[in-house]
Amino acid sequence: MLSSLEFFIVEAFRSIRRSALMSFVAIATIIVSLTIFGLFLLLVLNMGNIVGSISSRMDLVAYVYKDLSLDDAGVIQIKISNLPGVEKVEFTSKTEAWNNFKDEFNSKLNLNEVVYDNPLPHTYMVRVRNADMLPQVAKEISSIDVVDEVRYNGKLIQQIKSLISAVRVGGTALVIMLSFATLLIVVNTIRLTVIARETDIYIMKLVGATDNFVKWPFIIEGIIIGVVGGVTSLLILKLSYEAVVNRILQALPFLPLITDYGLLMAIYATMFFGGTALGMIGGYISVSRVLKNEMQ
Amino acid sequence: MIELINVTKSFTNGIHALSGINLHIGKEEFVFLVGSSGAGKTTLMKLLYRDEIPTSGKVIVDRINVTELDASQIPYLRRNIGIVFQDFKLLPKRTVYENVAFALRVTGALRSTIRRKTMQALELVGLLRRVNSFPDELSGGEKQRACIARAIVNNPPILLADEPTGNLDPATSWDILQLLDKINKRNTTVVVSTHNKNIVDEMKKRVIELEGGRLVRDQQLGTYNVK
Ligand SMILES: Nc1ncnc2c1ncn2[C@@H]1O[C@H](COP(=O)(O)OP(=O)(O)OP(=O)(O)O)[C@@H](O)[C@H]1O
Ligand SMILES: [Mg+2]
Repeated sequence: MLSSLEFFIVEAFRSIRRSALMSFVAIATIIVSLTIFGLFLLLVLNMGNIVGSISSRMDLVAYVYKDLSLDDAGVIQIKISNLPGVEKVEFTSKTEAWNNFKDEFNSKLNLNEVVYDNPLPHTYMVRVRNADMLPQVAKEISSIDVVDEVRYNGKLIQQIKSLISAVRVGGTALVIMLSFATLLIVVNTIRLTVIARETDIYIMKLVGATDNFVKWPFIIEGIIIGVVGGVTSLLILKLSYEAVVNRILQALPFLPLITDYGLLMAIYATMFFGGTALGMIGGYISVSRVLKNEMQ
Repeated sequence: MIELINVTKSFTNGIHALSGINLHIGKEEFVFLVGSSGAGKTTLMKLLYRDEIPTSGKVIVDRINVTELDASQIPYLRRNIGIVFQDFKLLPKRTVYENVAFALRVTGALRSTIRRKTMQALELVGLLRRVNSFPDELSGGEKQRACIARAIVNNPPILLADEPTGNLDPATSWDILQLLDKINKRNTTVVVSTHNKNIVDEMKKRVIELEGGRLVRDQQLGTYNVK
């Protein structure tokens, strides 16, 4: 096997050279599919990252308009902080709120002259551990009798999340379809080179070549096509992603885009191995089919 | 070395290429296979290297039951049978050396072994001068020598030649048959199908004649036609 490896590789390159145009088409197809695959992966991951960072800052606010004794307020605060998913609860009494408000605005107008009664509610600022729990926690807090109103910014997050899952589903479907199309093109490219070498194969078999021996050069041909396609697409994606990220971060430096080297490397590696696998499987399928159909 | 027991071969189109063939060929033999066009000579040879499977009967080559051989074992059978074709079947884009080395390559032989055995085979057939030529650049006789070198490079115990002189002039044909005789003397069973009357008559070998798929004559020191 090892002594034949050199022969297989020489044969594979010979074959690619002979059908240069088709090989080029196959490589281009692999590049397009893998680049789109990588783009979607980066898009989904970045959107997830951004949502994650937004939702980690998400709070929920509960209002109580009735008068509350400080004791009662404390009991409710403990009740809320004991709810599952709640990280932290801060209480601001209506008096405190009113004083804060007056401090802020008294310089501009004399509120005491206009408003005699404190119109502000008692406020509980609740920090929730994760955005998914917001609706549940909000429901639990609403069910406390004295609580009049609960507000949170859940809707935006929900919308972004469903956008992400739509992108994810659409991207997965597109990537699967592209992979099939690519595989088909690779299979047919190599099938052409196999058919062009049918006489060679027939003679190889007459002088005692095993099927595996006949198959290897074509599998390697597929691997070469796949590697070239994979490397090219990962370079395209890497360079363009870095350029785009630099641009965005100049304008929005706090946007939590993915710049983690390890994660990016994993994505690029997936593209490389994906290309290699596509090429290898394509080569294997095409030569096996021809061997099965056209020779015994 | 070669044994056919009650072998019949019918093609799906209804042609009975071979019927009821019984035949034994020993280790040191040199056999001519004669018979008019369509008599079944090529079919008989194809049965030996499992390019065709008999409809019924048994084919044994070098103690191997070819009929029942598992498909995965066919390559190993073929490494024990050298095959020479009327149309040479050389690979056009490869040199003589590459063409001959090819038969060793497929066995996964070491590069040094390939080199040594290929050169030996080319020397035996007298083609050392043309190692780097491409098939297009060779005369018919040289092509056939290259084909023979490829067939024997593995030192197979059996050599089959299907009309090896079909495309050659008489003098060259005679050279090729001398070469096959030389290979036979080096302990190789040789089976040659031919329409070349002069050569068969001159060489006085065992002659097996087929007619319409039947074995009609098996004669030691035979001639092309019945005397
Ligand atoms: N693959 C095939 N399918 C159908 N019929 C075949 C096939 N191969 C051979 N035949 C038929 O079988 C018969 C024997 O053919 P074969 O080639 O063995 O003859 P031959 O003796 O070698 O003839 P020639 O001297 O012309 O080479 C012929 O009638 C031929 O048409
Ligand atoms: Mg014939």
